[in-house]
Amino acid sequence: MAETKTNILPSARPAGQLQLEGMWRVVVLNDPVNLMSYVVLVFKKVFGFDEPTARRHMLEVHEQGRSVVWSGLREKAEAYVFTLQQWHLTAVLESDEAAAR
Amino acid sequence: MKPRRVEVKLSLPVVAPLLDVVKELADGLKQTLAAKPALPDADAIFHEVWTGELLSNQNEDVSALLSLFNEEFFTEGMVAFDQTNAESIARACSAVRLRLRELYLLPLGDEALEIGEVELAKLSEPIRKAFMCYLFLATIQELIIQHLDESIIGS
Repeated sequence: MAETKTNILPSARPAGQLQLEGMWRVVVLNDPVNLMSYVVLVFKKVFGFDEPTARRHMLEVHEQGRSVVWSGLREKAEAYVFTLQQWHLTAVLESDEAAAR
Repeated sequence: MKPRRVEVKLSLPVVAPLLDVVKELADGLKQTLAAKPALPDADAIFHEVWTGELLSNQNEDVSALLSLFNEEFFTEGMVAFDQTNAESIARACSAVRLRLRELYLLPLGDEALEIGEVELAKLSEPIRKAFMCYLFLATIQELIIQHLDESIIGS
């Protein structure tokens, strides 16, 4: 998986204050500014997607307004959201529990 | 293997006036994130650290974009991308474009922005200049994405 030097997550979270358990989804939301080619580049770099996978997620964002690009433990999901935000994509975290409701 | 570098000759009379817009927005981006971060149930301290890190990285990227327009640009109209600046500049272009939309281009509507179909003649001077800048930065991003392969945009 591609990691960049910018993949640094702030580490100042006080332990035990947040709901850390369970599975979390990294969701990228559509925005009218970022180029399709740029979004594909970011997905390839951040998640190590191949071109078809990156394009599929990009089109999902573009056409459906959102795409779940990763799911797993909260800490790593946060790191991905942080990196996506560094690239100025609109990315949010959702718990699997919330998504299932 | 020689590191790959892409040099682009720009029209100085066209691009130089747009740099005023970029510089003005760059000043604003020192204190403001281009895209507002969103985290569920994040406490204040965590949010502050998270935002501070993003802001610091954003400032580094915007500085890289501004340094593209150096003496070589103002004498020969030339800018160059390579492994050391390509990613930062691509991100900075995104940040400035988001800010342009927020400050100047919202009246144009998102659909017009997405497809890039805007009647320039109908725009006021500040909005026309902002839109030209918006297109220029998209062109820079496209150049980086198209001409620098994965050995430059490190995977």
